[in-house]
Amino acid sequence: MSAGAASAAHATLDNGHVKSSYARWAPIYDLVFSLVMRAGRLAAVAAADRPMGRVLDVGVGTGLELPMFDQRTRLVGVDLCEPMLRQAQRRLIDKSLQNVDGLLVMDATRLAFPDASFDAVVAPYVLTVVPDPHAMLDELLRVVKPGGEIVLVNHVGAETGLIAKLEAWLGTRSAHLGWRPQFQWAVLGGWIEARPAARLLERRALAPFGLFTLARLKRV
Amino acid sequence: MTDTPAKPAADAPRVDPRLLEILVCPRTKTTLEYDAENQELISRAAKLAYPIRDGIPIMLPEEARPLQD
Repeated sequence: MSAGAASAAHATLDNGHVKSSYARWAPIYDLVFSLVMRAGRLAAVAAADRPMGRVLDVGVGTGLELPMFDQRTRLVGVDLCEPMLRQAQRRLIDKSLQNVDGLLVMDATRLAFPDASFDAVVAPYVLTVVPDPHAMLDELLRVVKPGGEIVLVNHVGAETGLIAKLEAWLGTRSAHLGWRPQFQWAVLGGWIEARPAARLLERRALAPFGLFTLARLKRV
Repeated sequence: MTDTPAKPAADAPRVDPRLLEILVCPRTKTTLEYDAENQELISRAAKLAYPIRDGIPIMLPEEARPLQD
């Protein structure tokens, strides 16, 4: 077999491998990732919860983490997607949540709150989906009180699919794991370096799979 | 009267007063007036009325109603 034929065969094998991996994971994909992402939400809420204080949830979506907060924490949730907020609205009723002061449609880069309005701001799985993450971070820093915290949970490696990340974790595509987290962190790290008012308190890969990273920033 | 927005149903979700205290216009960052009857948040500075649809304020200038003066 020539070298060319060998590499072609190898490429075919790779494609077949990817296809079979998808087929293997498809039935439990939602379940696995909802569980992994739930762990991230729990960690984010644990860091951002402020009983008797006021917390902003940016990218609240269908409100999955709202019931995880202490009932004495006053919450406001914003999202760009109104249909998601309708589901969050139903969740508030279903769970009889009394501590959510409002759900609003907002652009995370143009928040409708005055400066220094919140004791903490939490943004789970948002940084990687907004077109201008630095503009969003500037807004989060603006609306959090001095001494307050910004809590972020993000995928490591936004440009690969979740399945690719899971496979990276499984060790089948370990080369990806080497540099994607670095690329991802630079977006946030570069912003922190350029903002004297923002200080990194903690950066932690989250169990169980380490696919997501929690970052806590303090407004000084 | 015919061209005024329809009044919200009596059981429409109300906007929490605690929320109104901390809301500003996303464009001008100035205070808003709450028009309970028409379910709008008025920004005089931006000359915009932000709609509140079934209890959810839509705080996007591009979806707001321009005010005539």
